[in-house]
Amino acid sequence: MKYETVIGLEVHVELATDSKIFCSCSAKFGGEQNDHVCPACCGMPGMLPIVNKKVVDLGMTAGLMLNCDINRTTTFDKKSYYYPDLPCSYQTTQWFAPVAVNGLVEIETSKGKKGVRIKQIHMEEDAGKLVHDDWTDSTLVDFNRTSVPLCEIVSQPDLSSAEEVVAYLERLRSLLRFAHVSDCRMEQGSMRCDVNLSVRPEGSNKLGVRTEMKNMNSLSAITRAIEYEVARHIDALENGTEELVQETRRWDDIKGKSFAMRNKETAGDYRYFPDPNVMPIVIDDEWFDKIKSSLPEFPEVKKSRYVEKLGLSEYDAEQLVQSRALCDCFEEACEVCGSPKDVVNWIISDCMKVLNRKQMTLDMLDISGKALGELIVLVNDGKVSRMNAKKILDAIFEGEENPATYAEKQGFIVSNDTGAIEAIIKSVVDSDPKSVQDYKSGKEKALMALFGKCMRELKGNCDPQILKKLLLECVEKA
Amino acid sequence: MDKTILSRLQKLNQLSLSDKEEESVLAFFADREAECEALSAIDTEKVERMVHVLPILTVVREDKEIKTFTRDELQKGAPETEDGYWQVPRLVE
Ligand SMILES: [Zn+2]
Repeated sequence: MKYETVIGLEVHVELATDSKIFCSCSAKFGGEQNDHVCPACCGMPGMLPIVNKKVVDLGMTAGLMLNCDINRTTTFDKKSYYYPDLPCSYQTTQWFAPVAVNGLVEIETSKGKKGVRIKQIHMEEDAGKLVHDDWTDSTLVDFNRTSVPLCEIVSQPDLSSAEEVVAYLERLRSLLRFAHVSDCRMEQGSMRCDVNLSVRPEGSNKLGVRTEMKNMNSLSAITRAIEYEVARHIDALENGTEELVQETRRWDDIKGKSFAMRNKETAGDYRYFPDPNVMPIVIDDEWFDKIKSSLPEFPEVKKSRYVEKLGLSEYDAEQLVQSRALCDCFEEACEVCGSPKDVVNWIISDCMKVLNRKQMTLDMLDISGKALGELIVLVNDGKVSRMNAKKILDAIFEGEENPATYAEKQGFIVSNDTGAIEAIIKSVVDSDPKSVQDYKSGKEKALMALFGKCMRELKGNCDPQILKKLLLECVEKA
Repeated sequence: MDKTILSRLQKLNQLSLSDKEEESVLAFFADREAECEALSAIDTEKVERMVHVLPILTVVREDKEIKTFTRDELQKGAPETEDGYWQVPRLVE
């Protein structure tokens, strides 16, 4: 019998805010244990939550980027469960009126294009971290992450393979990064995903038994987990190897297996009820329009503009639209120097080299586009050599915003005074008669040694072609 | 509401009721269920959903990080702490 897989995803992304969702504590990653805490996020009696406006802004932005309807009256609810990582013994989330509903995300795989429906996007607080301590035989609780704002994006069960899941997650990541909703770094846990999966005979309209794998945080692990689960489900259905039950499973990527964790709670078990401490939020026209008008160009729209209007290659344009910061830097630099092709070459070769050295990827580029544009002008006008331009680029990476003044201060401005260059060449040649002799007796390398000495004396401020020509003239005469 | 549901609810809420308490809780819920059923007889087709019992809206704050408390102040009342963590009985094997 042939089977088909039905997958729905719940994706959590951490929202890019400075403070937590209901209090002013820092939402930054890291810090000493329990350093980013206050009575509100520790669940002390009498505390009252105050909503961070930026969280609603970002929730709305996520909704609009994923073609959702925005609930103009949105409310928070309590989801009950007892566990020490939740100090209130409930999580404040959205159940009855989430900020965004009924969206659609288009994905593309080897099988073509497909729409994935979004059921809803809700805003909620993250839980704390537990450390199980063998030494004291106890569990230690860190509330730094408690109340850090999240968006949960719930899809309909429209996905049918690991390939589609990966395409969907990459699409979400791209859109949410573009809109500065979240940095969506799976390896840092700012994007994580619960996979709900079932298998049924092809063509059947009855859903099979569904299992859920929680907190998956790498695309490759997700792919392996889905492939394993599908095989396990089919084996159970075909050969009766086990009875499938609705449950939460943990994926062990090292063992390459999933393990049963606990019977899955049903929504009723969470006993959702409206949070009496947070009043409803009404998004008026002014607020809504402000967010709507701040949405960025979609990546594919930018890409075709770069190709058609700015003359970039498909490949280069695709590289740039990997990240909004990259696009912003590119566009700023173009504005200054007016040469998109030069800018993209600088970004994709020179900047890339610096990033590689720092073990960073292109989408992490975070330099001033204006400074990059000014540097390109200096090079194109022949004011600094390529060699020194690279040193100036390093300075831009360190935060230098004015390449022209920097170049002057460092003595990087190319001298147009051929007389001065010739004087330096002459003094080098005169001081090294042996190299001159070696060159004249046929040792090509000797000329390179002289060339290097001259370049050092000139601090790199000379066009290599001009230097070579003048040096040859001088050596011939010597 | 019956004994099975009540026992599941007790587990979820980490309660353990005596037989006598169970009886009174069951009677209480039976009354509430009857009230709800009576309410469901009302036609609410054209009534807008009530989002909150009070006709007031929330205030929002700007996204600004402010440190208001130190860890030591917060952990003053904690029964057990260890190296800046709150300490609780071991949760997993
Ligand atoms: Zn706090």
